[in-house]
Amino acid sequence: MANLIECKNIKKHFSTPKGTVHAVDDVSLEIQEGSTMGLVGESGCGKSTLGRTLIHLQESTDGQIIFEGEDITKRNKKQLKSLREDMQLIFQDPFSSLNPRMTVKSTIQEPLSISKKYNAEEFEEETYRLMDLVGIERRLKYSYPHELDGGRRQRVGIARALAVNPKFIVCDEPVSALDVSIQAQILNLLKDLQKERGLTYLFVTHNLSVVRHISDHICVMYLGQLVERCPTKQFFEKQLHPYSKALISAVPSTDIHHRRARIILKGEINSPINPKPGCRFAKRCVYADERCYQPIPLAEITPGHYVACCKAKEINSL
Amino acid sequence: MNSTEQNTELLSVRNLAVEYSSGGVPVHAVNGVSFDIEVGQALGLVGETGAGKTTIAKTIMRILPDHSVKDVSGEILFKGENILTMSEPVMRTLRGGKISMIFQDPMTALNPVKTVSAQIAESIIQHQGVDKKEAHKIATDILELVGISADRADEYPHQFSGGMKQRVVIAIAIACNPELIIADEPTTALDVTIQAQVLELIAKLRRELKTSLILITHDFGIVAEICDAVAVVYAGEIIESGSKEDIFDHPTHPYTRGLFAALPDMYKDVERLSPVDGLPPDPTELPPGCSFNPRCKFAGDECCEEEIEIVQISPGHYCRCCRINSLGGGE
Repeated sequence: MANLIECKNIKKHFSTPKGTVHAVDDVSLEIQEGSTMGLVGESGCGKSTLGRTLIHLQESTDGQIIFEGEDITKRNKKQLKSLREDMQLIFQDPFSSLNPRMTVKSTIQEPLSISKKYNAEEFEEETYRLMDLVGIERRLKYSYPHELDGGRRQRVGIARALAVNPKFIVCDEPVSALDVSIQAQILNLLKDLQKERGLTYLFVTHNLSVVRHISDHICVMYLGQLVERCPTKQFFEKQLHPYSKALISAVPSTDIHHRRARIILKGEINSPINPKPGCRFAKRCVYADERCYQPIPLAEITPGHYVACCKAKEINSL
Repeated sequence: MNSTEQNTELLSVRNLAVEYSSGGVPVHAVNGVSFDIEVGQALGLVGETGAGKTTIAKTIMRILPDHSVKDVSGEILFKGENILTMSEPVMRTLRGGKISMIFQDPMTALNPVKTVSAQIAESIIQHQGVDKKEAHKIATDILELVGISADRADEYPHQFSGGMKQRVVIAIAIACNPELIIADEPTTALDVTIQAQVLELIAKLRRELKTSLILITHDFGIVAEICDAVAVVYAGEIIESGSKEDIFDHPTHPYTRGLFAALPDMYKDVERLSPVDGLPPDPTELPPGCSFNPRCKFAGDECCEEEIEIVQISPGHYCRCCRINSLGGGE
């Protein structure tokens, strides 16, 4: 299948009084049309920044973003507006991403009115169609966000994103704030919508069980860089990067009879301010030696499986 | 759990009910909860947001805000004495001394204008009657025990990362060698690799200090990792309880089974998750009968009528469901 969106060597830096924060550093990835790319990593690794930069909500510092064959970083403000109809964002926290003074109906209608595609009658019709689509009861149309539970609020957020008929949606931790029983409802909804409308997702999350369930491909991010990228199935069979291994082993398992060996990482994530060259994980890595302090690009170790680790082959005896 | 041997019980909660008042409307947060914890045992209280888990913990610590609590009834026996009827001075010797609590959010649980060692020393001075200098020394030792080097003892909370702050919170909780620690979602605010460090620390401290633990969480994985016994809380009631094996191998109550089915599994391919339909009930208007009946696919007329008793279905495994026999096997 063709790539809907790809980015090449994208960078996003922020200047702060303490130095330059390398939030996203030299990331390249492509997402096939109709598929889901899972982006995992811990807080502060730059995964949300990457998501926002990809849909040009934030201007990238360097690199190309190619959407449907065209580099969108070159577009001017006016041209970007039409891009918004193709790319949308679903936010993490349905408690703060909705306007508290707008009803469900007006929240969903706002993007519809901006797109100016509908006459008055179609406008109403379309609003209700969206509410039905995401499973919000029509009786709730005049409710305010504070009157809704977390799951319904997230449904409103999804309806708002779908209103302009986007092709690509960045889902930024859309279920992290929800309880498990509600989380499953929203995950099923996102999967159904993808099937019906051929949507392409970038699914940003820190929850590895969720990412296994929802995504076709997976990227693991550490301190602004991708350390591993491959099809999801392959990833859960065998992780090749030492950080991915530690990440997977750290997730508490509900299997009480088979305890898995756990890799406990020492220390904490380094600062993303003016990082030194070389592997950013080296300081916490048990396999690290002097070779790891050279720049290490993402390389294809086995077919379709990209890893940024100069010792990947020996660690995994490949 | 629910054992009849009186001598090994450290804490015994009997028919605990807590009612809040919100704008004049009664909120039934906890409705007749009973459980026991033996010396050295780790009990996991599992449930979703608003199930009443934190209210149970705060009632045991007696730190619920007076102005919003309308009524607390039942008994909480700590070594045979009822916490609910203790005088405040007696309670003060217990709180932080014999029972201590680890709070969810390490960012807000610490005092931003006091050094971490001073915050640990505070409870040592209060409970062990030592002077400031001695307390500071003990505090530094405890920091080392939780993996923070002594030379950082005089730093302030903002100088620490999230995982380190949670270690400080744990250090405060264990400072006086408590017999019971109540940990309320101790790792929810942390990343998984840091969570793994903190869980490892809690497990190590339990091995070394033989402390009993009540672990409040919504994460079944953490329960599997740390606890011996599990109680599932729904709408302020325990709907199922038993050993870890009982709950994970033979979940019986439709809600417990529903929770397991809704969980995406990192080690299994599941095409479609099975969410529990609907939402937890509003604690101001609990449904009659079983509080899970509006969401339960097995519910019949008898579920909506009278209150359902919790019954023992195998030794030590209890379930609050009147249709157990028509649910089919425990899987």
